[in-house]
Amino acid sequence: MGLTSDLNVSVQSLLASTTAMDVTTTNMANMNTPGYARRRVVLEESAPNGPDQSSTGVDVKTIQSLRDSVLDLSINTNTSQQNLNSTVSSALSAVQVVFSDTASGSIGSSMDSFFNSLQQLSTTPASGSLRSSVLTAAANVASAFQSTASVVSQAQQQADQSVVQSTSDANTLLQQIAATNAQINTAQSLGESSNSTQDQLSSLLSQLSAIMDYKTVNSSDGLTLTTANGVPLVVGSKAYSLTNQLNASGNNDVYAGATDITSTIDSGSLGGDLQVRDQSLSTLSSQLDQFAFQFATAVNNVQTAGSDANGNAGTALFNPPNTTSGSATGAASSISVALSSGSQIAAAASGGAVGDNTNLNNMLNLQNQAITNGDTPTNAFANLTFGIGSAISEANSNVTATGNILTQLQNQQSSVEGVSLDEESSNLLLYERSYQAAAKVISTVDTLMGNLLDMGVTNPGY
Amino acid sequence: MRVNPNYSNDMATLMDQAQQAENNAAQQLSTGRRVNQPSDDPAAEAAMIGENSRAASVDQYTANSDSLTNVLNTANSTLNSVTNLLQRAVSLGVEGANGDMNQSDLNSIAQEVSGIQSQMLSLANTSYAGQYLFAGTATGSAPYVADPATPSQIDYVGNSQQMKVQIGTGLSVAANLPGSSIFSQPNANVFEGLQSLITALQSGDSSSIATAEVAVNNSLNAVNTAQVFYGGTVNELTNNESFLSQEKLNITTYQNTLVSADVATAATNATASETALNATVAAASQVDQQVNLLDYLK
Repeated sequence: MGLTSDLNVSVQSLLASTTAMDVTTTNMANMNTPGYARRRVVLEESAPNGPDQSSTGVDVKTIQSLRDSVLDLSINTNTSQQNLNSTVSSALSAVQVVFSDTASGSIGSSMDSFFNSLQQLSTTPASGSLRSSVLTAAANVASAFQSTASVVSQAQQQADQSVVQSTSDANTLLQQIAATNAQINTAQSLGESSNSTQDQLSSLLSQLSAIMDYKTVNSSDGLTLTTANGVPLVVGSKAYSLTNQLNASGNNDVYAGATDITSTIDSGSLGGDLQVRDQSLSTLSSQLDQFAFQFATAVNNVQTAGSDANGNAGTALFNPPNTTSGSATGAASSISVALSSGSQIAAAASGGAVGDNTNLNNMLNLQNQAITNGDTPTNAFANLTFGIGSAISEANSNVTATGNILTQLQNQQSSVEGVSLDEESSNLLLYERSYQAAAKVISTVDTLMGNLLDMGVTNPGY
Repeated sequence: MRVNPNYSNDMATLMDQAQQAENNAAQQLSTGRRVNQPSDDPAAEAAMIGENSRAASVDQYTANSDSLTNVLNTANSTLNSVTNLLQRAVSLGVEGANGDMNQSDLNSIAQEVSGIQSQMLSLANTSYAGQYLFAGTATGSAPYVADPATPSQIDYVGNSQQMKVQIGTGLSVAANLPGSSIFSQPNANVFEGLQSLITALQSGDSSSIATAEVAVNNSLNAVNTAQVFYGGTVNELTNNESFLSQEKLNITTYQNTLVSADVATAATNATASETALNATVAAASQVDQQVNLLDYLK
């Protein structure tokens, strides 16, 4: 009641408008900041003054951050999936080249050449030059196995290096998340706004989701992060730092504190690298070993059953793969030709003459026998091609699918959290007007008060 | 619902997709293949591996048939000469057996038969690319040699093995006939016949000349019968080669359907995706220029 309370209301209004304009400028300034959710000022009537409650000012109740945490969460989950699949796709793409039907010197094409050279020799078993070309073709088969195995193991090593890199990146993020948790806690206990810290936290969580999947639980001391099966990553202000330890096969496992969490990470780029290293390529590598081992064994068995050009009993064509007994591990990377001269090829049946090709025909029959991975050599190779091709193509279609979902979710997120310049500009206009109005009231009250003070004065000057 | 104020995310995704589609179409046009890596169509790639292997085998079977045909033709024409020589020997035997000739004439006929015998020896030891054609599988050394104890007697030292060569999957042909089935068949031995004719002519006994002439004639018939093998096998190979070339054509056609790009579709896709890309870029630049409220607040 009265001019003084009008003045008070106007000052409150000025302050409220200033705060509102602050929020607007903050929104405008951060329209492109990752993790930023637009804010708005929430105004409310202040407690009324005086007995008749005629003058009621405005208070800034709070500054609200328009964050949709459910949406944020599903975006993060999808980002993890997206990164898993794109990591798998790009890691395996480097490997699929050597399984292509057009790859020169692939296992498939070198085996075709090997069998063809045997075919050719079978027409003239005594020919020295044809015998030499069989040895050359056999050496090409061996080197095709070796180079394919080396491409696979290089890709595995690369994935392993990525695991180490991602572990350290995730580690940094976990520390930052723990620190942010602590800040939010402090702010909340002091009753202060934690909007900016929440924005930071949101950005950190989305960065972490690109690397690995995690679960979040809100507890009294802030956000708790665990792996999918509940191993703690961040609890309150404590981060369980991630470390790498070498496992039996020489690869880096991931530990959170003292717990091995390698097998529980199944999303994000870290999940992708682990899947590539420990599943896709590991399987492929042992399939290659089986393939090389069984192929060499089958050829050697036929070879040792026959007689060579000098009438001697045949000896193994391929060096017994450098493996521990009974196991094929390492066969693909160590297979090589054991014979030094074409005359050692056992073309003839045991004790047969130099022009006999009976044993060659037996060796040729291997081409149509299920000697490798339960299939003919050609089909065994085709199966590997199919395997890696479909793994990549599946990952690619998942990338497309999650990409579409992600775009949709990000649109939704933007429509809730995104800063619109138009909206902010019109808000700015509103707050400007209300500021101007409050200022006008103050100057009016000032004039009125002047009039009041002048009432007792002679010659007031007007 | 509030409208998403940030278009850029959407725009970038759309441009990405259009660019990707255009790249795919361009790759298909430039390589002529719809499938350029296993992930493009894993099943087609796996089938391609099998077909490549089949095609390589067919090529090899064709090459095998070719080189076998050469060998068999050489053997066949050798046997033609053998037949001619034996026919000459038979007519010389008939001539010698009619009893009109004096011993000196018979001796000169014996001389000629002896020449035939040595030519016969060299024909029976014919080699092709270093391999003796009539030695069974003992192709490394001459199959017919003079017996060390009785130099006039020619011994067969080859074996009686036949070599089988694959000319198709699960299909093989015998690639040779051992000398024992041509020149030195029991009761029809070419060399024994000729030797007995020479001996009979030198002895001047008409009836033994006639007997020897019958023996040579028997061996001629035996050689002719054996020769049928060569003609028959060459025929089989020729038929097989035309089958193989048809097979190769089938494989190539199938491979095309597996991985080849449909050029018309690829070209259409290229144009369509280019149009889409242009439209998206144009839209993006429009959005960029879009006015906002700030422009009006002066």
